Amino acid sequence: MFKWAWKSLFNQPGHLLGSALGIASAFILVIFFDSVWRGESVQVVAYPDNMKPDIWVMQSGVGNMHMAMSFIWDWKAKKIEKIEGVKKVTPILYTSSIITVNNKEMFAFIVGLLPGTQRAGPWEMSAGRQIENPGEVLIPDVLSKIGNINIGDSLQIIDQTFTVTGLTKGTFSSANTVLFVPFSNLDKILSSSGTYSYLLVDTEESIDAKKLAKKIKNDVAKVNALTHKEFIANDLSMAKQMGVEIIVMMTIICSVLAALIVAFTSYSLIMRKRKELAIIKALGVNNRTVLYSVTAQSIIVTLSGFILATAFAIFVIPTLPQFIPQLTLLVSIDAIIQLGLIALIVSIAGALIPAYMVLRVDPATAFHV
Amino acid sequence: MFQLAWKQLKLDRWRTLLTAIALGGVIAVILILEGFEQGQYYQLEQLVLNRKADLIATQSGVNNFIAVRSSIPQFSRAEVESVEGIINAHPITSLPIIYNKNNIRTPVYVLVYDTWGGPSSIIRGKHIKKGNDIVIDISLAKKYNLKVGDKFFVTDFEFKISGFTKEAAFMMPLAFISYDGMLDLFLESEIAPDLSTFPLLSYMLLEIDPAFDRKKIQQQIEARSPFVDVFTPSQIAERDKNMGKTFYAPIIGLLVSVAYIIGMLVVGLIMYSDIRSRIKSFAILKALGFPFTKLFQAVVFQSLFLLLLAIPIGAIFAQSFAIFIHNIFPIYLFQIFSPNVFFQSVFASLIFAFIGAMIPLRSIQRTDPLLAFQGE
Repeated sequence: MFKWAWKSLFNQPGHLLGSALGIASAFILVIFFDSVWRGESVQVVAYPDNMKPDIWVMQSGVGNMHMAMSFIWDWKAKKIEKIEGVKKVTPILYTSSIITVNNKEMFAFIVGLLPGTQRAGPWEMSAGRQIENPGEVLIPDVLSKIGNINIGDSLQIIDQTFTVTGLTKGTFSSANTVLFVPFSNLDKILSSSGTYSYLLVDTEESIDAKKLAKKIKNDVAKVNALTHKEFIANDLSMAKQMGVEIIVMMTIICSVLAALIVAFTSYSLIMRKRKELAIIKALGVNNRTVLYSVTAQSIIVTLSGFILATAFAIFVIPTLPQFIPQLTLLVSIDAIIQLGLIALIVSIAGALIPAYMVLRVDPATAFHV
Repeated sequence: MFQLAWKQLKLDRWRTLLTAIALGGVIAVILILEGFEQGQYYQLEQLVLNRKADLIATQSGVNNFIAVRSSIPQFSRAEVESVEGIINAHPITSLPIIYNKNNIRTPVYVLVYDTWGGPSSIIRGKHIKKGNDIVIDISLAKKYNLKVGDKFFVTDFEFKISGFTKEAAFMMPLAFISYDGMLDLFLESEIAPDLSTFPLLSYMLLEIDPAFDRKKIQQQIEARSPFVDVFTPSQIAERDKNMGKTFYAPIIGLLVSVAYIIGMLVVGLIMYSDIRSRIKSFAILKALGFPFTKLFQAVVFQSLFLLLLAIPIGAIFAQSFAIFIHNIFPIYLFQIFSPNVFFQSVFASLIFAFIGAMIPLRSIQRTDPLLAFQGE
């Protein structure tokens, strides 16, 4: 019986391929959405993750960086510097704002760097040089590509015009594009004289960062201090919460769609093979065996679609950012495994209508002339 | 050929229904994606338009209402109000915060208002009456299981929820507090020593005497006060929408393209399987002298009929889904029946159905009329 199921499917390779492609497309939609979400979530923490200080210090009540606002007095940085175990304190100013690139407005995060604080600057440059003078800006190389803006060109942040002096790598995402400007310029934009946003604290070797963070919180009034791990975890969990509902709903919609395509394929096949099925039944094969073979067909079709979708996810999705650079995609094996389980459910759900049709096939029709 | 296509669909109603549902599913995916994108733009526009101002004054160089920090010097208010035709310059301040409860963090866009610019509607509870009252978006209430009268902590300052509104933008829920509330927050909470950096006046919602020309007032304000720019609400709404487009359009656009390809494949698959099962009928038609163009027409009509059946099914699926999701997660708004979304999607689906119908044409072309005279 399973041989029959196998053969009748592969008798029409075009039909099988069409069905597999339809199912694969529905699954690709799910994987793609998931990749965007995961890619953006990881990219949201790209800046703090690459800075890797032992401790992050910020305004009390603030516990992360993405979409947050933090201000602490500059004298607190000096006080923290004097605490035993602290090796270095690197202050930054930080804000989110809209930037205007060639008359196009984009959302971006801006980091203000004090002179000589490369520690908090870009971790990789792809062209140009670091900031040396006021009015200069470092932009992501992807932004340069999509915004058609190059070294020497200018862009606007609020009411100030900046000249691009360098292109940075790994700093772009749709939700979290990071630009670097001189501290003095951002200070003026924010009217935040005498304050910093975050302090990157490096500790002496063999110092317990968790204990030191606690000490900073106790010794310095109205600041929050978190270890790098805690800080990143906070940002990542918030980024992942945003949009998770969309991923779930898209997975549901596309799975239903895949189930419908499976149902259609199996149904068409059964309708064409009604007479064969009647003969099989007339020969004494019971309903259960026939149902198993219908389900097997459904699983084969779904599995083919799933394999195609997985191949697409592994080989094609990672290359997409070359053509659409503003996309940050991260294909997750976990997501593919989850989808595999969904595919199994889909294949069984898709077999339900054809199974009903099989049960209705009358063995007597095998003897109709 | 028109009749042939129609009868073919009526012949196997189960199959036709299943096909229309599958196609409806594809159309629903497209409508949901497009509707989601439009919903985001609508929310961005409404954020500004709901403030009901005649004109809006921003910090010089700031052209947007969301995702930007605008800070206007206090004295500029007097300068603006001195312009003839201005009845009042209602202050409003924006304060992005991260709400944290049980270690679940959500960015919230807090609007601080005095006389104008408060919540556009209260769907439960009351407007702000006291300094520590706060009105929050219903999505925030659902996410954290908050009720009217509950405490709402911003850093360590305790607000009391007086009501729920239905306003969100850029996937962020909105919250509204009064100026009294903001000052209490700054003075009583732990952030007090650093409050000098927070803007106390982000925008001014200008109330204009209808007898005066808005354009002239706009020019006069900008001439009198170098620290502000003046826009109509629709100008800012359009800019916010365009900013949203740079964020959403590349991702949603790609997803919609994939959905159209699925639609094309589904139509192709359906027509291919249908033609393969009726290959003998096509051979008979060919043997009877029907030209290929006529048979082609029949296939195209059939796929278009299927699509016409699928459109209402897809629209119902999409709208039901949108209502369901919006009820559970009110932050996501879908504009399924926005005319440009709906008709554009339907038109694009028709094109893709037409392309899909081409897929099995080779089978018809290769069908030998002699097949009509062969036995079973």
